[in-house]
Amino acid sequence: MEEKDELLKIFSMKLRMTLGNMRINFDDLQEIRLRINCPLIINYKNKEYFVSEDGSLVTDPLKGVLVSKNEIKETMEYISNYSLYAFEEEIRQGFITISGGHRIGIAGKTIIQGNHIKGMKYISFINIRLAHQVKGCADKVMPYLIDEKNRSIYHTLIISPPKCGKTTLLRDIIRQVSDGGPNFQGMNVGVVDERSEIGACYMGVPQNELGIRTDVLDCCPKAKGMMMLIRSMSPQVIAVDEIGSKEDLEAINHVINCGCKLIATVHGSSLEDVKSKPVLGELMQNKIFERYIILNNIKSIGNIEKICDAAGNKIWG
Amino acid sequence: MIFKIVGCILIILSSTLMGFYCSCELKSRIDDLKELRKIIMLLRGDIRYGNTPLPEAINAIAKRHDGNFKNFLVKVSDSLRERLGNTFSQIWAQAVEKELHITSLNKRDKYQMIQFGEHLGYLDKEMQLNTLDLYIAQLDEEIRELSETVKEKTYLYNSLGIMAGIFIAIILA
Repeated sequence: MEEKDELLKIFSMKLRMTLGNMRINFDDLQEIRLRINCPLIINYKNKEYFVSEDGSLVTDPLKGVLVSKNEIKETMEYISNYSLYAFEEEIRQGFITISGGHRIGIAGKTIIQGNHIKGMKYISFINIRLAHQVKGCADKVMPYLIDEKNRSIYHTLIISPPKCGKTTLLRDIIRQVSDGGPNFQGMNVGVVDERSEIGACYMGVPQNELGIRTDVLDCCPKAKGMMMLIRSMSPQVIAVDEIGSKEDLEAINHVINCGCKLIATVHGSSLEDVKSKPVLGELMQNKIFERYIILNNIKSIGNIEKICDAAGNKIWG
Repeated sequence: MIFKIVGCILIILSSTLMGFYCSCELKSRIDDLKELRKIIMLLRGDIRYGNTPLPEAINAIAKRHDGNFKNFLVKVSDSLRERLGNTFSQIWAQAVEKELHITSLNKRDKYQMIQFGEHLGYLDKEMQLNTLDLYIAQLDEEIRELSETVKEKTYLYNSLGIMAGIFIAIILA
């Protein structure tokens, strides 16, 4: 309930009333989209709805509440805490993370200077992606990641198409590795959270539970962040989201040479698919990763298709 | 006769005090402007180096500040946190109108403050700092002008008070 109030506070007065009247479970709410002069759209339980003035969900766009220019402006004021200037860097990237860990994507007219995006004005489109932590979603995979012989964990790569819950799974793996379990000692985990998705830090404090032995480097480029964490926080495990660039490769080699374990995710649909990618293919050929977790969303989001070992042999699923 | 003398003395006394009050007000207006300038400087520092959002920055200053502007700062930062559908400039202007009675700022000062509030918040950092700099320069100018004339004006108010008292007393007597 408190979380709901906290979230509603970012909306303009009128939208706050409408959304507050909705009789739905906010835990199943995935997205709220505001577009100037268009009806308000929410994504609830994987379905798209419009919201009528009294807060009921409708499928007819004409019955939905329209979002006006002023409402977008007011909402932006609240999102930015009356201080858009403090979010210059975030706006340049196109999203802002707010308290509660929710991600707010924005679009409007960009201001270009040279070849760089300097900022954005006339913000007219807002997309609020609600952060949901699914605690315990890694329970099934954890036994396969623990290396009992060396009292450590395996280098792990999570492979998944977009929107299948790889970041959610990664987050829970981090939490469990960091906290430890009955037959497994917790480890120091360093997280490089380039897009504020894993920990969803608000003013440096992770809004998602990442475990008691976790250090988070927020909004830091992955390659630089990994090196930095090794130097500064001496982690036993490093976790990153969406690897794939050349610089990442160098940093990953560095991580592994330092004796750190790596947990990473990548976009892809199968082992073969990832093998054909330039950087990751190389890593896989060198048998760097010892465990692969492949996700799909056939049954539900975050469905685990299979778990493979370093050679690509299926050990579960 | 004795009543006349007492009456004259009272008239002279009160008008003299009036003169003193006016000159004191002038001095405290300078003090208040200096105080305001300090607050804006602190705000500028927070924005420039800390990239701090306004509610936080104002709240932090309110905690450290202990003078005529405390109520004003507390009011602004509280209203900002409530998020009741007002824009920053509205909240700022309301607080200027309602919470600055105890200061000696005059109408023009308050008007300038409200105008300054209209440009806070929504621009990029560079523009934000420019706005703050401009306002600081404006305050500086005001303070300089006042300080230059303060001596003459206090003298004027004081002597005018006494003279006016004597003048009225003579006419009435």
